[in-house]
Amino acid sequence: MAVAAAGKAAAAAYGHGESGGGRGAGGGFLGPRVPAEVEAMARGVQDVGQETFRRLLKVTVNALEGKDCKESVKLIAESSNLSEEQLAFLISGMYTLLREALRLPLSTFKQEVFKEDLKELRRPASEGTALMQRSRLPSVQDLKWRVDVAISTSSLARALQPSILMMMKLSDGTAHRFEVPIAKFQELRYNVALILKEMNDLEKRSILKIQD
Amino acid sequence: MAASVVPESDSIRRAVSLLNAMDPGRFPRLLSRLLQKLHLKAESIFSEEEEEKLQIAFSLEKQDLHLVLETISFILEQAVYHNLKPGSLQQQLQNIHLDQDKAETFASAWAAAGQDTIEKFRQRVLTPQKLETIGWQLNLQMAESVQAKLKSPQAVLELGVSDEDSKNLKKVFVEFSHQELFEFYNKLETIQAQLDSLM
Repeated sequence: MAVAAAGKAAAAAYGHGESGGGRGAGGGFLGPRVPAEVEAMARGVQDVGQETFRRLLKVTVNALEGKDCKESVKLIAESSNLSEEQLAFLISGMYTLLREALRLPLSTFKQEVFKEDLKELRRPASEGTALMQRSRLPSVQDLKWRVDVAISTSSLARALQPSILMMMKLSDGTAHRFEVPIAKFQELRYNVALILKEMNDLEKRSILKIQD
Repeated sequence: MAASVVPESDSIRRAVSLLNAMDPGRFPRLLSRLLQKLHLKAESIFSEEEEEKLQIAFSLEKQDLHLVLETISFILEQAVYHNLKPGSLQQQLQNIHLDQDKAETFASAWAAAGQDTIEKFRQRVLTPQKLETIGWQLNLQMAESVQAKLKSPQAVLELGVSDEDSKNLKKVFVEFSHQELFEFYNKLETIQAQLDSLM
């Protein structure tokens, strides 16, 4: 997000990487040192009206979800009397704040603690949205199959050979159609059962009982 | 049931006379070699060099050698198609005037390797893509760029799918969470139930 990067640069230009002495141990979920742009935002947000603030928040959330927000940012710039510089570090500060907050899973992320942290940063409390974009390999979206029995072929008058045809659609849009020979099918079944068993064992082990 | 499997055409007659003249010593080896490679779609079972050696060994001209090899392949393919018993095969061959000793050689080669050859033909598929290899990896994901403190087990399945045309093995990587893998397994079980009901 180009605006966030510009904001970071702007905040750094104010020379505020190191301060934070006036706030005790730093911003809770933001880590031991509050990022420069969040601080700069915290200061700048005092002068921003409620309506404008809400719009800025909406733009930030859209950006986190990966949507394009150049238009909305332009609208806000025109309607409010904020300079481009102020806008830059307001948005980048909010972006960093929300992004770091959203990294933590819901169990660790208690509403009150979040509000506390935000108050420390002198910001009104706000809610975040749940994001589900993750970096993964494609998963199976749809699996269609059929079992055929070849009665006769050009090589064999009486073949009576069963075969399996699979059509696998993956989440990245690709589709794969292939035949699975019976022996390979058994191997596939065996391996999948084996992985399931291993997964069960893994989930039972004590490493997973470590509290967050 | 003992319909004539090998038609009595001119080329067959000519091939039979050539076969009868061939040295019986090396004949069994020739037959078993042809049986082994019968199911392959490759055009020529023998390389140039080997063909030349065969020409010398059986004192046949190039054309005649080709005719003989094609005829033997045809006879064996018919035996596969009709799932002939060795006895029937021998009878059929004698009916088209092949010498008894050569017919017996055919019958014993067929008795030895016939079922394997039929099985190989059974496995031949018409679909261009076939699952060849299966590999997998079980991971425990601890964190990622947009989410900290995960503890989710994930499986990655690597399916090697061969492509008839390009002869390459295309690797398809698919990721599964526990739930997704369980659903996949249930689908496989349904397929297995269908296969079992065929028996």
